[in-house]
Amino acid sequence: MSLEPDRDRMSDLVSLTYIEELTPNLERFADALMAGRLVGEQCPTCRRIYLPGKGYCPMDVTLTTEADVVEIKDTGFVSGYTIITPVQYYGQQETEPFVLASIALDGADNSIVQQRIIGISHDAVHNGLRVQARWRPRHDRNVDGLSNRGGTGLDGVIFGFQPTGEPDEPAAKCRERIF
Amino acid sequence: MSATDIAIVATAQTPSVRRSICSEVQLLIPAVSRALDAIGVDRGEVGFTCAGSCDYLTGGPFAFVTNLEATRAWPPIAESHVEMDGAWALYEAWVRLHHGDIDLALVMGSGKSSPSRPAEVWPQQLDPYYLAPLGLDPVSYAGLQARALLASGKATERDFAEVVARSRRSAQDNPNAQERGDFDADALLAEPYYASPLRRHDLPPISDGASVVVLARGDRARDLVGRPAWIRGLDHRLDPHQPGMRDLTTSASTTLAARKAGYDGGPLDAAEISAIFSPQELILTESLGLPDGTVINPSGGPLCANPIMSTGLVRIIEAAERIMSGNAARTLAHATNGQGLQHNLVCLLEGD
Repeated sequence: MSLEPDRDRMSDLVSLTYIEELTPNLERFADALMAGRLVGEQCPTCRRIYLPGKGYCPMDVTLTTEADVVEIKDTGFVSGYTIITPVQYYGQQETEPFVLASIALDGADNSIVQQRIIGISHDAVHNGLRVQARWRPRHDRNVDGLSNRGGTGLDGVIFGFQPTGEPDEPAAKCRERIF
Repeated sequence: MSATDIAIVATAQTPSVRRSICSEVQLLIPAVSRALDAIGVDRGEVGFTCAGSCDYLTGGPFAFVTNLEATRAWPPIAESHVEMDGAWALYEAWVRLHHGDIDLALVMGSGKSSPSRPAEVWPQQLDPYYLAPLGLDPVSYAGLQARALLASGKATERDFAEVVARSRRSAQDNPNAQERGDFDADALLAEPYYASPLRRHDLPPISDGASVVVLARGDRARDLVGRPAWIRGLDHRLDPHQPGMRDLTTSASTTLAARKAGYDGGPLDAAEISAIFSPQELILTESLGLPDGTVINPSGGPLCANPIMSTGLVRIIEAAERIMSGNAARTLAHATNGQGLQHNLVCLLEGD
């Protein structure tokens, strides 16, 4: 007997709805992004700086507040990268190969991951490459991609990071920055 | 050592609220600090950590990993996670302590139901062929159970209302409760049905919250606190997943867990039970074999605060705190997982 889709098969597409407020630390981060600024949080105990701030320091479990907010420059260097050749699975929106990189921002102790590298050919991307964010015009910014579930939401406010032309950072600086 | 040589020595819980602006880990951090500070223990002294939470609630894949940051997880720690109520995390930590090589364990239970819709999320835990496609949500499931209970003649809608009225009165003394107040059963019965035969007050509130327990073994427990709450017995049992394969008006797995935990129906100073919907209190009272006059849910119970994934651990906390404060000698806590009281855990606690 052959299968007849309408008779023998039933679809049960699962869809879950989530509505959330950003946590206070991410709310501050989002406000700064819309204004074209990057802010992190500095742990009052160990002085490490995180971007975005988590509302606490995971290394010594100290809570952070608005008083611990610090400005971070939009410059840094590539500390790791992947060239992605998109597979055309359902929902895939990319068609051409692209680069996602981890960026160690000047002054931040963590790297931000999955950032676009622009203005340079893929085979020229390398660890230690100095880059700077290229911001979207103010009217074209959003923080829709920012959520309590992780990520930086930078996609909505910058086009990506482009090379500055400065000399590379030494490879040793990438060693503790795998992610 | 014997199986009765493990005790609860510290507890903490956040107030239960409809919507917290904190993330789960942000709720857990101060709770962990409060529990450990109370006994002067540093995070680094904990030998094993176990957490109970559910990533579906906030929609964050691997949110349970982030939750670990509340423990200070670097340098790496020994830990585990259960996609179950924190009461089962306590069970795993209790088993781990039986190995005898560590003497302190940390247990966390946390859940934020506010970002999602429970009626969408919870059918996903049902079998994907017969039940999940029906969208059998917890309220409908509890409604079927309540209807079966009424049809059996074991209870009336007035019994349901009296459970609610007593729970909310008890919760007036509980600063962590979300629902509280002086309600009259007649007034409650005058309310319209929400999902017949359940009225809105027969349902638990939707809650965000977290809770923490510290377990200690033997002499370490005695050194840390004057009056530990000794775990005399702890057991959990399952009923069949399919609601049609069991009698919804009773809970065979609860009865078995109680007996295996060493509870024989003797007198208790209090019982904290996970009656998530009001009819379930009647089912559990009978299945546990609680004597007449037992003080049930003096905290107000899940009808007044239901931070899912923490609710059952809070029952153990409430039962343990009564012993640690010297107000009780013997208490019982019950936790449940799944829908319609499918999976049940019983914890019997005593003071010295």
